[in-house]
Amino acid sequence: MGIFIDNNTRVLVQGITGKEGSFWTGHMHSLGTNVVAGVTPGKMGQEIDGVPVFHTVRQAVAAHEADAAMLFVPPRFTMDAVFEALDAGIRKIVTIADGIPLQDSLRIRRAALDAEARVIGGNTSGVISPGKAMMGFFPWWIERVYKPGRIGVMTRSGSLTNEVTAMVVEAGFGVSTLIGVGGDPVPGTRFVEMLPDFEADSETDAVVIIGELGGTMEEECAEAVASGSFTKPLIAFLGGRNAPNGKRMGHAGAIVTGGKGDVASKAAALRKAGAGVADRPRQVGGLLLDALGARR
Amino acid sequence: MKLFEFQAKNIFRDAGIHVPESALVKTKSEVKKALSVIGYPAVLKSQVLTGGRGKAGLIKIVEDESAAMEAAGTLFSSPHRVNNILVEEAVDIEREIYLAITVDPVEACALVLASAEGGVEIEELAESAPEKIFREVVNLEKGLQPFQIRNLVNVLGLEGSAAKETAAVLSALWNVFRESDAELVEINPLFLSRSGEVLAGDGKLILDDNAAWRQDRADAGREYFDSEAAFEAAKEGIPYLQFDGEISLMCAGAGLTTTVYDLVIDEGGTVANYLEFGGPNYRKADKAMELCLKNDSKVILMVTFGTIARADVMAEGIVSAINKLKPDRPIVTCIRGTNEADAVKILEEAGLIPLFNTEEAVRTAVALARGDA
Repeated sequence: MGIFIDNNTRVLVQGITGKEGSFWTGHMHSLGTNVVAGVTPGKMGQEIDGVPVFHTVRQAVAAHEADAAMLFVPPRFTMDAVFEALDAGIRKIVTIADGIPLQDSLRIRRAALDAEARVIGGNTSGVISPGKAMMGFFPWWIERVYKPGRIGVMTRSGSLTNEVTAMVVEAGFGVSTLIGVGGDPVPGTRFVEMLPDFEADSETDAVVIIGELGGTMEEECAEAVASGSFTKPLIAFLGGRNAPNGKRMGHAGAIVTGGKGDVASKAAALRKAGAGVADRPRQVGGLLLDALGARR
Repeated sequence: MKLFEFQAKNIFRDAGIHVPESALVKTKSEVKKALSVIGYPAVLKSQVLTGGRGKAGLIKIVEDESAAMEAAGTLFSSPHRVNNILVEEAVDIEREIYLAITVDPVEACALVLASAEGGVEIEELAESAPEKIFREVVNLEKGLQPFQIRNLVNVLGLEGSAAKETAAVLSALWNVFRESDAELVEINPLFLSRSGEVLAGDGKLILDDNAAWRQDRADAGREYFDSEAAFEAAKEGIPYLQFDGEISLMCAGAGLTTTVYDLVIDEGGTVANYLEFGGPNYRKADKAMELCLKNDSKVILMVTFGTIARADVMAEGIVSAINKLKPDRPIVTCIRGTNEADAVKILEEAGLIPLFNTEEAVRTAVALARGDA
């Protein structure tokens, strides 16, 4: 089974009647995801790809016992949509929205922590267990990237994830579960919070993290390795090694201020803890081979 | 969006925080006029967005008119593009305090920071004496509580009217943080004057662009950007950074573009501009190429690995941009992802040599920039 989601997870899609929502509901279905209901206020009675649509999450949960919510909701409505899902008792939520106001993202994560729920995102492609199920928008049919296998992947990035994961596949491995925590400064879920799931997952042999400058998520992973709470091989690729101090490069979360959050110190912390750090995407495959040998 | 000091101080003043008497001026004659009201000594503060203005000589204390005229001349002609000077009364300072509100992404709360050592760079203080920075974690649903303000004022060692007024500043600063949707609000230093006033000596305010839709804000003008191309890119919503090297990056995805930047530097190349035309901009190849061509670069390097941003659509956009703009410099393409086989065909038919490997594309671009290829 995949972590976070598998084909037993009963997924509800908020914003299902929109262009992205309806298109990707179809692809979630065709991968094997169990999409049980959709919600768009004012659109009850419609069906999208055979999925019944409700006005509210509460109604949809009552009718179909959904236990996960996939949000195709614009950034300005995301906080309300997350609160609605939490209020209806859902404890697994993925939001792809790119452009959630910073203070909304604080309130979203705080609400998730208080409810002991997981909100993944925003600014992400979502979560996928290749060959099983996904919540998000991954073109899962591209085998060069989304090949099923035994490597867990966590990422703050989109295109870079394809670049790095293609190297994992090229080295002969595949992906067990890929979790895009997203590129925002305050992601709903942090890398380190998913490590226990990968640690417990019998279908994951090692984890690759695709990090970047800014923030402290990579350092937190280093601590988890150093303290022995995560024992599987951890390999990191970190973007922004040569980024100039003070320039916000790419993601909103990717900025070095006052010498904190630069890639050199992240890499040093990870290496000191015993994790592998690739300087280039291509090296990720080799580091996995070194760590796992014939276990691919 | 980072605001200029004078804008931050206007917002602070509206929120009830006292600021020194000042006037914003654009010319030397206006400086003279402002000083006839404000008097001497006074401070001339260049309104630029870069930090470290003091060290860069962009802030000058003047004692008389001739010194003021000389300083104003120097500042207005500095290479830092000083359009505005804030002419401010020189406050007779007894103490300087540091106050800021920022976010704590782990606790998912706001973080109010205070230090009795105002006026120094807070990053340096965080390094040398972190115990001198006091913190209060604030849940946004609850807001900054009176007891938290008392805690801070107490550890700062303030008493009497200074304590009361600083407490009022903290409360007002919290309102600014919340109501303006700020990422960061900072007063460094907060002056405690010998005459017992509490005044914001400086003002830093970074607003969250993602919240612009619910704020009544003007769009950022040309003065907020370090190049014409950066300004135009912002108007188009295209992420862009100005550098001064030889290779224009026209890539997709924040993480991938940053990684390509790393690889270019590793291979001994230099970057003219960072530009992303992925995500919502993946149909904007011609605008993206136009921005790249504004640079004095020697080659344009395109690396993408798109999923929603389909490779074939991007390739079509690139070819149509080439036909329209007839670029005067070589283009290196490495366009992969959804429908990449079609993309290859489109690029080859246009006479380009599509590459598949990011590192090879980077090496090719660096060699072309050097004139080796």
